[in-house]
Amino acid sequence: MAASIAPECNEIKERYDTCFLKWYSEKYLRGNTTSNECEELFTKYKKCLNKVLKERGIDTMLEDARKSSSETDSEFLRKS
Amino acid sequence: MKFFENKFTYDYSFPAVSLAYFLRYPNPYSRHVLTTDVIDRYVDPNTRRLHTIRLHLKKSKVPSGILKLLPKGMGGSDNSGQSYILETTIVDPTEGWMETESRNMEWTEKQHYQRILTEDSTQALDGLSIDQKSEQTTVRTTVTFRSRLGQGKFLSRKKAGFDNADAEEEEPKRGFFSSLSTAGIQRTIELIGVKRTRDAVLKSKQGMNVVLERLRNGGIVGVLEGMREDREAAFGTEGPWKRVWLQGNGHAIEDDDK
Repeated sequence: MAASIAPECNEIKERYDTCFLKWYSEKYLRGNTTSNECEELFTKYKKCLNKVLKERGIDTMLEDARKSSSETDSEFLRKS
Repeated sequence: MKFFENKFTYDYSFPAVSLAYFLRYPNPYSRHVLTTDVIDRYVDPNTRRLHTIRLHLKKSKVPSGILKLLPKGMGGSDNSGQSYILETTIVDPTEGWMETESRNMEWTEKQHYQRILTEDSTQALDGLSIDQKSEQTTVRTTVTFRSRLGQGKFLSRKKAGFDNADAEEEEPKRGFFSSLSTAGIQRTIELIGVKRTRDAVLKSKQGMNVVLERLRNGGIVGVLEGMREDREAAFGTEGPWKRVWLQGNGHAIEDDDK
């Protein structure tokens, strides 16, 4: 699995990624789109990751990027 | 400005291709990708589409010689040779398509993956259907050049910080660059960009094919096993070589202190 930008989150990320792959291939792609068994792992992973993103100032950068992204989202979706 | 467009067909089903997209790092063609994190992910309750936002950290693909000439920020996030890529993905499992957008300061790459329905394939997706060799998935890729020397919104905050901090030592470089027209610099970067983009798109396709091949031969377990080997090849294992490297590095630091 790809490594996390925060080495201390690698373990929980790997557990979440594994859960997601199973859910995506066995549930989501088969039409069961409402189940959310990976939610708890994702919350833990995000908690670990967000701490590091904040420490390195990446969180504000992401916020800016996502804001400017949402401005163009409608255009993006219309084209497709 | 759009400067690259490409269409390609994978001989794999849409479920397999979409899964391979999420699983594509690391692969033998992605040595420059250092880390991948999921920033946000949810299923829209109305459309049932899966939305994912990921952050990749990559080594800059701009050659170091050119990197040194560019104003800070142009080669990536800074002149450290690393850059962040923000990737947004939307999957529609009912209609069988996936939209992706990857961007950094300079480029935005958009891809549209579309399931091709064949006569004998059923309308509903059935899991990965990795054995259905008759199924195909097309992908349309477009890359646009987005940076206008400091007007790029992504990373602009960080870049501004660098400019202020290094204002004095950057003086000679600025003089040099102000003698060039903005259009000239942009043109140069675009020329580097066209070739590099073509290479990058080709490599990413090769990487996807490796992952898809592993998926077909060994399922998800096969992909994960392949990844482990790729990661060891790229970053080393905990074996003797790593210890040698660490000790060697330690000696170098001691020497610097003397």
